[in-house]
Order: sequence, then C-alpha cells, then structure tokens
Amino acid sequence: MRLISVVAIVVIFGFIFVGILHLHPIGEPVGNPRILYERPPLGIDTQGVTIMDDYFLRNGQVETGSNNIVASIVFDYRGFDTLGEATVLFIVVSSISMLFFTFLKSKSIVSAGVPRARQFPRIESRIITFGAFLMYIMILSFGIYLVVHGHVSPGGGFQGGSVMASATALLLISFYITRHMQRTRKIFSFFESLGLTIFIGMGFAGIGISFLYNFLAHGTTVFGKIIPFGPNPGYLISAGILPWLSLAVGIEVFFGLSLILVTLFHASGVKNNL
Amino acid sequence: MIYYFFLVISIALVITALLSIYFRDLLAAIVSYAVFSLVLTVLYFLLDAPDVAIAEAGIGAALTTCIFVIAIRMTRRREE
Repeated sequence: MRLISVVAIVVIFGFIFVGILHLHPIGEPVGNPRILYERPPLGIDTQGVTIMDDYFLRNGQVETGSNNIVASIVFDYRGFDTLGEATVLFIVVSSISMLFFTFLKSKSIVSAGVPRARQFPRIESRIITFGAFLMYIMILSFGIYLVVHGHVSPGGGFQGGSVMASATALLLISFYITRHMQRTRKIFSFFESLGLTIFIGMGFAGIGISFLYNFLAHGTTVFGKIIPFGPNPGYLISAGILPWLSLAVGIEVFFGLSLILVTLFHASGVKNNL
Repeated sequence: MIYYFFLVISIALVITALLSIYFRDLLAAIVSYAVFSLVLTVLYFLLDAPDVAIAEAGIGAALTTCIFVIAIRMTRRREE
C-alpha cells in the first residue's frame, strides 16, 4: 500500500513538472508576440490573429469598451459560462439551506432548557469588537469598489462579492450575533435570488440578437462610450451591460456566501446546546 | 531575481501544507491552512493574475477559515 502511494505521488509530481517545463514566459502572449502593436484605434481588426487569445487581446477593448480584458471575456464573450457559475453557487446555497432545515426549523430548539448565558459563549473584549467593526467598514468598502470597478480595473463581481462575504464572516465570529437569524436568512435569500434574476433579465434584454448580447455598448448614450485602443484613464460609465452583470454577480455572491455563513453559524449554536 | 521569490514562496507553500497535516490541534491546522492560502495569493499576484489573487484571499484565507472554525465549534478541537 505504501509503495503504491509513493509511486502515485512520483507520477503526479512528474506530470506537474512536465507541465511547468512547457509554460510560456510570464507576461508574454501565447500566440503572436506582436499582437498588441500596429493596430488601428477603432474597429475590429483580425490581422495577424492565429489563435483565440490573439483575438481577445487585439479586439477585446474596442469591441466591449472594457479596459479589463478578463472582465470582457468573463462577462461578454463567455457570459453564458458565468451564468452557469452563478447557478452553481445558487444550487450550493439552496442545498446547504435544505441540509440544515431540520436544525433551524423550530425556534424552540435554541432556547430549550438551556440557561440564556450558556447558549452562546460571548467574548467580552472591547478591542476585538471595535477592531472588527473598523475592519468591517474597510473590507466592505473595498468589496464595493471591486464590484463597481469590475470592468475598469482587476476584480469583478465574484471577487468583490467574496471579499464582502469575508466581512460578514468577521462580523459573525467577532460579535456572535444570534438575534433575528430567521429574518436575516429570509432577507439574504431574497437578495441572492434578486442578483441571479437581474443577470438573467439582462441576458434576455438583448434577446433580439442573441442571449446575453451586449446591446448597450456602441451607440447608446448611457453606457455606450466608444473606447479607442490603447491606454486611457478608465471610464466608469462604459462597457455596455458589463457593469450591470458585474453588479448582479456581486450581489448574488455576497448574499449567497453570507447566507452559507449565517446558516452554518446558527446551526452550530443549535447543535452545541442539544 | 524574481525566481528567488518563486523559490521562497514554493518552499513556504510546502512547509505550511505539511504543517496543516502535522498539527493535532485542529485550530492550529486551520491557521496554517490560512497562511498557505495567503502565500498562494502572493504567488498568483507575481504571476500577473491579480483578480485570481483577490478571489483566493477572499475565499481561501477568510471564508474557508471561518467555515472551519464554525465546524470546530460544532465538534471537537483536538484530533485523536
């Protein structure tokens, strides 16, 4: 048995090292190395494009109006995959809520025959609570910044939502909030569904051409600012439906992950006292 | 120069991963796993992937740690 595991580890590491040897240099495009040069400032240009990476690098900024090429791929070219990811997260949150439904079904379990003081061990430390409160504000601001600037700078809906959910984790662990749990879970599940509904609704809004078509970019006065190729200071009101999709994913991820944390925290308090 | 950074980060990754297996105190193992995620965040940042680094810092270092701490609260702290 030990020999088999040693052989398995050696084989796996061999595959990893072979993969490392075939990596291309950091910061270099995979295909044509001159793909970012000698390009007209507007319009789709496929000169010298051999593989798909070349097309994204050469046309992503002009076609979607987003400075962040990763966001233009995630929310525009591969928007349907992002919808799948958001749906997977929704299913995970739903299944966790179903799994702990029997724990959280009745309120009477929480306070059944247990003295109030023993229910939740509370940390009476002014330093921890005040520091957590300050950090909560800063982490939440950073998460909102990441969501709102998803199409301009690195970040996006998923990253910003997970950062904001870590603020919720900090608040739960440091403050031991135990009141209004049922109402909190109801509100969080409503907003999580709202985020996914906004995403699907934005997808259906461009159904005249195709599902998740970027109908706001190019031409409309609101979010259709025309961005020429090359560096620019970054415009917040640009990139068509990308900011809306980023906002929808941010709302869904924040409230979904927070719902997981709140449900688990509540269930752990119940289990401890049985 | 940057390859020395990669060497230090790789060694730190292996050490923290082994420590999180080695510890019998599960809270210490979780803290070591959080450090593992944080070092992995630096590695992603050096590899020119800042958005993956942010996601790793948010989920790997913060959310997973919180969920594991809640799981310890439901069970026992020490491993037999």
